[in-house]
Amino acid sequence: MTFKLGMLAPLIALLVLIVGFPLAYALYLSVTDYKLTDRGTPGFVGIDNFLSTLTNVDFWEAFGTTVLYVVMAVGAEVVLGLAIALALQKQKWAKDLTRSMLLAPMFITPIAVGLTFRFLLNDQIGAIPAMLRGIGISYDFFGPGRALMTLAAIDAWQWTPFMVLLLLAGLESIPKQPLEAARVDGGSAWYVFRRVTFPLLSPVLVIAVLLRALDALKVFEYVFATTRGGPGTETQTIQYFTYQTGIQFFRLGEASSMAFVLLAIVLTLIILTFRRIERGRAA
Amino acid sequence: MRKPKLLSVLRITLLWVAAIFVIVPLAWITLASFKTPQELNDPGLVLFTPNFDSWASVLSSGILDAAYRSLVVGLVTVGISIVVGGMGAYAISKYKAGGSVTRFGILAAQVLPPAVLVFPFLTMAYALRLNDTLVPVIFAHLSFVLPVVTWFLIGFFDAVPPALEEQARVDGFSRFRAFVLVVLPQVLPGIGAAAIFGFTLSWNDMFYGLILAPGNAAILPVAISGFNTFRGVQLGAMSAAILIAVVPVVIASFFIQRKLVQGISGGAVKS
Repeated sequence: MTFKLGMLAPLIALLVLIVGFPLAYALYLSVTDYKLTDRGTPGFVGIDNFLSTLTNVDFWEAFGTTVLYVVMAVGAEVVLGLAIALALQKQKWAKDLTRSMLLAPMFITPIAVGLTFRFLLNDQIGAIPAMLRGIGISYDFFGPGRALMTLAAIDAWQWTPFMVLLLLAGLESIPKQPLEAARVDGGSAWYVFRRVTFPLLSPVLVIAVLLRALDALKVFEYVFATTRGGPGTETQTIQYFTYQTGIQFFRLGEASSMAFVLLAIVLTLIILTFRRIERGRAA
Repeated sequence: MRKPKLLSVLRITLLWVAAIFVIVPLAWITLASFKTPQELNDPGLVLFTPNFDSWASVLSSGILDAAYRSLVVGLVTVGISIVVGGMGAYAISKYKAGGSVTRFGILAAQVLPPAVLVFPFLTMAYALRLNDTLVPVIFAHLSFVLPVVTWFLIGFFDAVPPALEEQARVDGFSRFRAFVLVVLPQVLPGIGAAAIFGFTLSWNDMFYGLILAPGNAAILPVAISGFNTFRGVQLGAMSAAILIAVVPVVIASFFIQRKLVQGISGGAVKS
């Protein structure tokens, strides 16, 4: 008993210190008018920050932008990740090398990825627009109406490998018998995929999508590296908006309340997903 | 027999296209780091005499100091996480200590938006006069590295057969000695993978570093974003700096990819 608690106690103590306490402190900040530039004790304002966050048009615009970004990025990652995972599963030649190389982007510093693409896609000096001009197309990747799509594409470049990694593991843990039975029964490759592989893969797929969506909701580095929220406020995501409120305008109380709204959204997503998984198991 | 052949052509084409997509940006940035400012204005230029001015300027610009600070933050964060997380993970795996509350807490801590925790860290750092030092950055990085490392290790400990340890206890080992001498060697590859993955997470984070230590104690990603002034002259240096940040973690990643799935799923999926 003492051994067990002795092993666990440092972990609990450290988690309380670095997660529990800051979390409580953030809750306190969110009900004050704390500003980084003020001296003296911050005043208690109750739920004012939350009210102003929830009625802030800019916040909801950033929220909409973020949701659109997550849907585009994670959607592309699911389709591409599934296709690549299926292709890799049958790969025999240079298997380990191919996998290692295709998975590499997910380990790269996101700010480096953002800056690389800012450079590569730049209108004047980037290689991709230069190539497109060569075949007579003029496309400004960071122009109005396109910048958010470009950011989602950057996200897909970096994080499709994560999807591949999880889906490949999922594919390899699918038992062989149902697949063979379906093939013996004369099912086409598409039929086998749709009726056997995909349903057996869907638990892993749900988890992979959830993990990616939660991470993509926090997008910051790509925006910081490329558009800084522009053109206009087109690519202003929640995390970037919160950063600006807190750091550039020093309004920590308000920024904390925004962070809590984001946290509430994250928790709702998690609970809904796990409910679905539970129901899937019960059925 | 024609259909399977068509599928395999599609399959190989897809893999080649994916490989080209992965390689082109990285190759491009490598080329750019060896170009002169004039050559940088010509995006189509692939063959040219390599020029080392960008590398020379980046190596004398304090980027290496920033890389060193990132290394320190990563090593301290991972060291604490492995020791504290490892002990806790063992207790959770073996004795179901703390029940589902602890397990859920660890899982929840991984998905906390950094925007929630960063402002408390900042005000505390100001109050203790530790702002713009590595101390708050290390604490902030612990807040996401510790839960992830612990989660990984729970899965790896779950995979150790209990009979091994029981035998050691019968042989007269104390619980702690059995843990250190019998169980730990079994999960050593898992600990290595968790350590490298945790280090990568810390090495790659910019958000906390940018807010908690934007100045003299800037870590590598923050220092790199300093090249974001986007004057033509800086691009070569920026490319070199990006490579300094990218190459170590990509090489390290090759060693842990096999263990990663098992770790992320908390041991539920083995590869």
